Amino acid sequence: MLTWEFPPRVVGGIARHCSGLARALAQDGHEVHVVTLDFPGAPAYEEMEEVKVYRTVTELGHPNFLTWVLLFNHFLEKRMADISRQVEFDVLHVHDWLTAFAGISFKHYLKKPVVLTVHSTEIGRAQGLHNADSFSIDGIEWWSAYEAKKVIVTSHSMKREICDHFHLPWDKVEIIPNAIDVTKFNASVDSGAVRARFGVGWGEKLVLCVGRLVPQKGVEYFIRAIPMIAQRYPEAKFIIVGEGWWRDYLEGVAQSTGHRWKILFTGFVSDADLVALMSSADVLVVPSIYEPFGIVALEGMATGVPVVSSQVGGLAEVIEHDRTGIFVYPKNPESIAWGVDRVLSNPEHARWLTQNAREIIHKTYSWEAVAMRTAEVYKEVVE
Amino acid sequence: MRRDPSSDFSSGPELSDELRLLCMLHNIGATASERSLTLQQISEWTRMETPALRSYLQKLIELGYVQFIQIEGMDKYHLTLDGIRKVLSIYS
Repeated sequence: MLTWEFPPRVVGGIARHCSGLARALAQDGHEVHVVTLDFPGAPAYEEMEEVKVYRTVTELGHPNFLTWVLLFNHFLEKRMADISRQVEFDVLHVHDWLTAFAGISFKHYLKKPVVLTVHSTEIGRAQGLHNADSFSIDGIEWWSAYEAKKVIVTSHSMKREICDHFHLPWDKVEIIPNAIDVTKFNASVDSGAVRARFGVGWGEKLVLCVGRLVPQKGVEYFIRAIPMIAQRYPEAKFIIVGEGWWRDYLEGVAQSTGHRWKILFTGFVSDADLVALMSSADVLVVPSIYEPFGIVALEGMATGVPVVSSQVGGLAEVIEHDRTGIFVYPKNPESIAWGVDRVLSNPEHARWLTQNAREIIHKTYSWEAVAMRTAEVYKEVVE
Repeated sequence: MRRDPSSDFSSGPELSDELRLLCMLHNIGATASERSLTLQQISEWTRMETPALRSYLQKLIELGYVQFIQIEGMDKYHLTLDGIRKVLSIYS
């Protein structure tokens, strides 16, 4: 498995996905080797629940992003060359375009098939191709999908997107949803202590929003909904979890609402704090405008917090409106405020939503199920 | 939306100069104390003038994204864990 992020190098959903999948495949009896980039404090090699993890240092650098990507792919290739002298691989599983060069080189060197998981696309993330690097990344994404024997995506909307955009044959693309470790999100939490730690008093509503602070996550529209929510629930506090290059701008938007003192930007938080916050919140808002899957919604559903989500991409497939969560319109603060009110004004209905959500999570989104379906894809490409 | 810190042309929301510098420091490998760089080295890599560079680095230190250290009497800089995470969030 080739991925540019793997715990503790956690940025978005890819690290969690690769970690969950690798562990479940190993538990199912497969030999899994993960080749990834280094992270301060993490060992160059370790075995994590029978998954062999190789972390590679990029010895050369360059200020330009794409040049840096090419350089680290070279060092990944070098590491894979070392490993392949002792291990006979059957399949190379590449996650997103960032490690595609190393994966494609090794496909041709080892004469082994590549499976590519596309977690998102440049054109989707950037809502268009706005500069030379974007065009180049779009080309690399197409090239890696072309070189792969099978492409995996996590939702029907992503399948439509990549088949349309990259002109891929429909039967080359498999849909295998994302999953979560349900036990991790089912932890017992002292909500009062967690709320106090994050400045939420007794009797105050906690409205949580989790996502990287980048435009496609739609956090701006959540912040713009805050005055409307605060008018109805003056005691509400708003916590925004996540980091990103748009943080300064979003803090400016928060300032302009007149409710800045009620809004906390936590930045990056540990997995334990994330679970604690989700378990202690009254409502979780997922206001994305582009979302290939939306694992945050799943995580929220697993902790038992009512989820209010925009009806886009994979989120539209994960949640059933008014049965397992509440859908709102994307880019629409009024709609977000309506969704939050729908949950906060009717606790009994909110409880019913969370019960239904938990049932769905247990049945459909386990790593065991995802690993089994992924192994079927491996088997198909090897034959 | 991926913002290339050294792209020649682009449109849409832009990174601040400090974050552009943070990305460049990350990409050239200043991600640990043993790989920290002097002001002179950073200036050579980034083609930024020293006064501006000093001011951006100070801001990044205040934000907790860059660590200032002295090694054998030399002033050096490298990214903190929060700084690395900030850059990766820009690239995701």
